[in-house]
Amino acid sequence: MIWLVFAALSTIGLLFVGLPLRRRSEMTSVMADTTPAVLLDQLDEVKRDLERGVISGAEATAAEQEIKRRILMQSRKTAQATKELTSGGRFAIVLSAMFVPAFAFGYYAVMGSPEIPGIAFSERTAERQETAKVADLTNQLYDRLTTDPSGGPSEGWMLLGQTYSRMGRFADAAEAFGIVAKRPEATSAVFSMLAEALISAEQGVVTPAAVTAIEHAMELDPSNPAAVFYKAVALRQKGDIAQAHDLLVRRLNNADSFYPWMESFVAEANRIGTEIGRAPISLANFAPMVNAPGPTQEDIENAQDLTVEERQAFIMSMVERLAARLQDEPDDLDGWMRLGNAYSVLGDREQAIVALERAEILLSEAPQNDPRRQTLKEALARMRQ
Amino acid sequence: MVRTAQSGEFIEGVDDQMTPEVGHFALALALALALVQSVLPILGAKRRNILWMQSARWSAFGQVLFVTVAFLALMQAFITSDFTVKNVVENSNSLKPMLYKVAGTWGSHEGSLLLWTLILTVFGAAVALFGSNIPQALKARTLSVQAWISVGFLTFMLFTSNPFDRVFPPPSDGQDLNPLLQDVGLAMHPPLLYFGYVGFSIVFSFAVAALIEGRVDAAWARWVRPWTLAAWMSLTAGIALGSWWAYYELGWGGWWFWDPVENVSFMPWLMGTALLHSAIVTEKRDAFKSWTILLAILTFSLSLLGTFVVRSGLLTSVHAFAVDPERGLYILGLLAVSIGGSLALFAWRAPMMEPGGLFKPISREAGLLVNNLILTTATGVVLFGTLYPLFYEAMTGGEKLSVGPPFFNAAFIPVMLPLVFAMGCGPFLSWKRADLPGVLQRLRFVALLAVLGTLAVWYLAEGGPVLGYLSLMLAFWLFMATVREWTMRIKLFEGPVSTSWRRASNLPRSAHGMTLAHAGLAVAMFGFIGSTVWKSEEIMFVQPGADISIGGFDVRFNGVERVRGPNYFADRGELTVSRDGKYLTDLFPERRTYPVAQSTTTESAIRSTLAGDLYASIANPASEDASTQGAWTLRILYEPLVNFIWIGSAMLVLGGGLSLSDRRLRVGAPRRKAAVTARVPAE
Repeated sequence: MIWLVFAALSTIGLLFVGLPLRRRSEMTSVMADTTPAVLLDQLDEVKRDLERGVISGAEATAAEQEIKRRILMQSRKTAQATKELTSGGRFAIVLSAMFVPAFAFGYYAVMGSPEIPGIAFSERTAERQETAKVADLTNQLYDRLTTDPSGGPSEGWMLLGQTYSRMGRFADAAEAFGIVAKRPEATSAVFSMLAEALISAEQGVVTPAAVTAIEHAMELDPSNPAAVFYKAVALRQKGDIAQAHDLLVRRLNNADSFYPWMESFVAEANRIGTEIGRAPISLANFAPMVNAPGPTQEDIENAQDLTVEERQAFIMSMVERLAARLQDEPDDLDGWMRLGNAYSVLGDREQAIVALERAEILLSEAPQNDPRRQTLKEALARMRQ
Repeated sequence: MVRTAQSGEFIEGVDDQMTPEVGHFALALALALALVQSVLPILGAKRRNILWMQSARWSAFGQVLFVTVAFLALMQAFITSDFTVKNVVENSNSLKPMLYKVAGTWGSHEGSLLLWTLILTVFGAAVALFGSNIPQALKARTLSVQAWISVGFLTFMLFTSNPFDRVFPPPSDGQDLNPLLQDVGLAMHPPLLYFGYVGFSIVFSFAVAALIEGRVDAAWARWVRPWTLAAWMSLTAGIALGSWWAYYELGWGGWWFWDPVENVSFMPWLMGTALLHSAIVTEKRDAFKSWTILLAILTFSLSLLGTFVVRSGLLTSVHAFAVDPERGLYILGLLAVSIGGSLALFAWRAPMMEPGGLFKPISREAGLLVNNLILTTATGVVLFGTLYPLFYEAMTGGEKLSVGPPFFNAAFIPVMLPLVFAMGCGPFLSWKRADLPGVLQRLRFVALLAVLGTLAVWYLAEGGPVLGYLSLMLAFWLFMATVREWTMRIKLFEGPVSTSWRRASNLPRSAHGMTLAHAGLAVAMFGFIGSTVWKSEEIMFVQPGADISIGGFDVRFNGVERVRGPNYFADRGELTVSRDGKYLTDLFPERRTYPVAQSTTTESAIRSTLAGDLYASIANPASEDASTQGAWTLRILYEPLVNFIWIGSAMLVLGGGLSLSDRRLRVGAPRRKAAVTARVPAE
């Protein structure tokens, strides 16, 4: 539809340039006849001024003489200058007319956003109701938590904090996370969320309070990606760019599989890396994915102490657990890839292919440069041999 | 394409909602047409190709069509609060009253550029439409030059300041809640100002086209004058309206602050006024060609400077300019190309123009030359005062310096006063050579009246600066000399009234226009002088029950009450005004607080009469210590004659309008010989 409108507009634009081709001009006034007209008009004015007594007779005669002299000069000049008008050059007009839509479409192809609809405020009542509902529920939750004599369950406060974060109310979110952070059961994730809320509330500036939260999160779990990320941000703002870069790369190196957070790690590392002249890194170097065995190293070490049957049963139970979880969460791309890998280790080629094909479907929506595409292709090829 | 549906699903039926993109595409088409128009017609004029020259007409119409489509698309986005458009998000809000939503279309940097371009294309199309008597080659060249300006603005807009940038998903509401900017005067101010600025573009295009063509003559000047007048009128109205807004809305009680934003609109006005007069000489006497061309170029250059300098944020600080270097560099480039290019062309071609009619040192030509010189000097003074702080900041690496009213009052006013004197004599002078003793003889009586009038004021008023009295005397002089010239022309009191009436109706409208405009300036001067020299001001802490006397009025402060408005609450002061024990009126100045926008505004209360304005505003107590407990900061001003400023401005605009309506000046003006002979003498 939108392209039809564009096509119609372009046609109009094209016609505006092409129109002179059809209409032969009838109003070509040339200097020769217009300039004396102005001068004749002046002559007339002098006469009127004389009638009104604004100027004297002598003045009028002088003025008339001067104007007549100018008329004469003018007509002599135009006689010399008059050349034949030509009316060729139709091809240039056609070319220019074609240029108009070509330029507009060329520009629009690069700069336009035809995919974004315009949405009037009045049409967004559903959205506003949704927002109002969320706000209402949030307020209810807040009331329940604050009136709870035991201070409210930590899960409740975490939910409240996350909701506030999504609503952009970062200061409120930090307050909610802060309550859980004071409790003994606070995990590393609680502190990293607190840090994130504090930093967002300050438009990205890492405050001392945020640094404390980051430190706590790192103490509890040095591998918590969010904590590591904000630690790097803090280091960079302190000026320790090299250290920040090292920290990000080290954490990437320790990843056992692909996780969505790795993309922002790579982006951030490359962004700050350019400031100190480090070579850019690529996500493909850090995502082992299906090359990594399904069960972790730890699982296998544990399994080595078992008998053969027990070991087989253990691995099967792991795989079944994963498969069962994937029935509930069919969109877990990395899960399907791990499952496919596990089946291939177990030698169940058919099941492996089924799992990998599920992953392939999910992966079709991922960006073209997603490194998982390559690994999946190789794994499928191996299985189908 | 407008959907008013209240259907629950907001994402449903999005296909028919594409106006922002249509607007964007239309701008691209307008740019394409402008590109064609900037090349084909001017080549056609060179090669005398009639088809190519004529293409200008249609592409000018096309441009105005597509820019209008874009403008309406943006306006629709503002009216429906379409927050998928970034510009709407940043400059509007769903709660704004409809009028300000509409005005929001041109309230932002991007939107005002779009309005600028729209007016630019309207002027281009108007030349194409009404200029049927303009020689084809000149018209083609003029429209091509106009298209160059279009290309500059459209590319600037599309590549650095696109009004159709999108946001998805849209934020829940817009960000602009500024209550101060929600004012009718302010909503209408930019369009008028822009009409003035951009109107001068067509004069500029005519000038550049004439330089390229290498000929300027009486006919050229006559084609250019209506456009100059129209632009000058809009600019006058725009400046007056802006000043009126500042006076009534800002709550400072001043009407002109020599603020850079005001100065950049005042400079093209000064230059445009000079151009208006210079063009008369070119038309009547075939002289001042270089002057007229140069003034046309400079007037538009100053308009460009005004638009861009305000928009780039350069005035607030050089630093602000550096924040957005892409825009800043583009602006500098555009200014350099347009101003530098046209001046270079002028330097190259102007010497080739034939000299026009000769004149003696005492003549109307000489009088208008003085007018040109003084107005240009005055513009230079304002330009210096406006740009000097910027250069200073740039040179010293960030040190700030402010050039304020003291500089301008000391430098600008003495330059302008001789002009006012000359304005009184000028219309009496005849072309080529004039009889100065004779003119002064006729003005003896006027001079005497001016002195007497000033003495009367000196007797009535309690003192004042010498410069004030000198200015006042000149204002009297100008007013009465103007009236005298008019009565002489119509021979008032020299014969029967019916003769005068016939003569008055025989007089060309442009002559009446000149009288009205010159008298208007004198009237405005009374306002300038009265409200500056004899202004009284009191700022004090007051307790309820306090009495203040100012400008002959007795004002009693009755206290403050907390009142609620639709989206604000206010502290409203109550004042009772009386004179000589006689009750006159009550004044209710307010201090409004808008909690959502977290801002406060001052709503001053004014008792307005022709004699002067009594102006009251109120502010929160300065501090809450014991000495000011329960006290308020009250500011009361008495500004004598201040309303004469707006009356005088209106006379200036009306005078311009009268002159424009003169049929000899109408667009496509020159009458053919046949029409001349067939015409009745009445005009």
